[in-house]
Amino acid sequence: MTVFHKYVRTILEQGAVEAQRDGSAAIEAHHLLLAIASVEGTDAHRVLVSAGLDRAAIRAALDREFAHSLASAGVSAAAFGLPPASPGPKPAADMGASARLAFERGFKYGAPRSLRPAHVLLGILQAQFGTVPRALALAGVDRDGLAAAVRQELADETA
Amino acid sequence: MPAVDIPVSQEPADALASVAALRRMADQLEDAAVEQAMRAGWSWPQVAEALGVTRQAVHKKHAKRLIAAGVTLRRR
Repeated sequence: MTVFHKYVRTILEQGAVEAQRDGSAAIEAHHLLLAIASVEGTDAHRVLVSAGLDRAAIRAALDREFAHSLASAGVSAAAFGLPPASPGPKPAADMGASARLAFERGFKYGAPRSLRPAHVLLGILQAQFGTVPRALALAGVDRDGLAAAVRQELADETA
Repeated sequence: MPAVDIPVSQEPADALASVAALRRMADQLEDAAVEQAMRAGWSWPQVAEALGVTRQAVHKKHAKRLIAAGVTLRRR
């Protein structure tokens, strides 16, 4: 198993824990983004931190996007006074459509042997629609600029 | 009763994001509401009927989580 395969496995395991915390049955792209921000020592993690996006900042941006999208339909997440549900007994096992797309897109950017963690992040940042681009936009993050920084990091690694 | 002003966005991207968020919200509410009902001694058939789904569906979706959470479940 290559270093990159081990990284993907780690990201999926951590993404599954993030999905479980969210009460989500499947791992989605935003869970992968949280996972990337949680695993230190990679090119992808360096780019995120340089942009001020540690795990807490990403979580806050995602929560804001959720509240904002609910508010667009006149709904407040805080309006329901139920105690939060207990989490499921096991981390999520399935990948959702957004996570699959992120991997597909990321893997297109490099030859199989040259894939790096930054390619996974690049795949997530390619999405124009969905939770991640909306959360980043609401947080004032320039997604194209962030993707350019990821590409630069990859170029520096291979130089 | 006065009309409630609901700020529904006209933008497709906003409308679609609202649908996605409402689905997530509904899932979270279902988890919380079913757990609250079962902790209060409701049975699976009662919860299923209240949700408008089959007993099998609600059991399959929630039983493992509630057992892991230590909720005492009524069989009937």
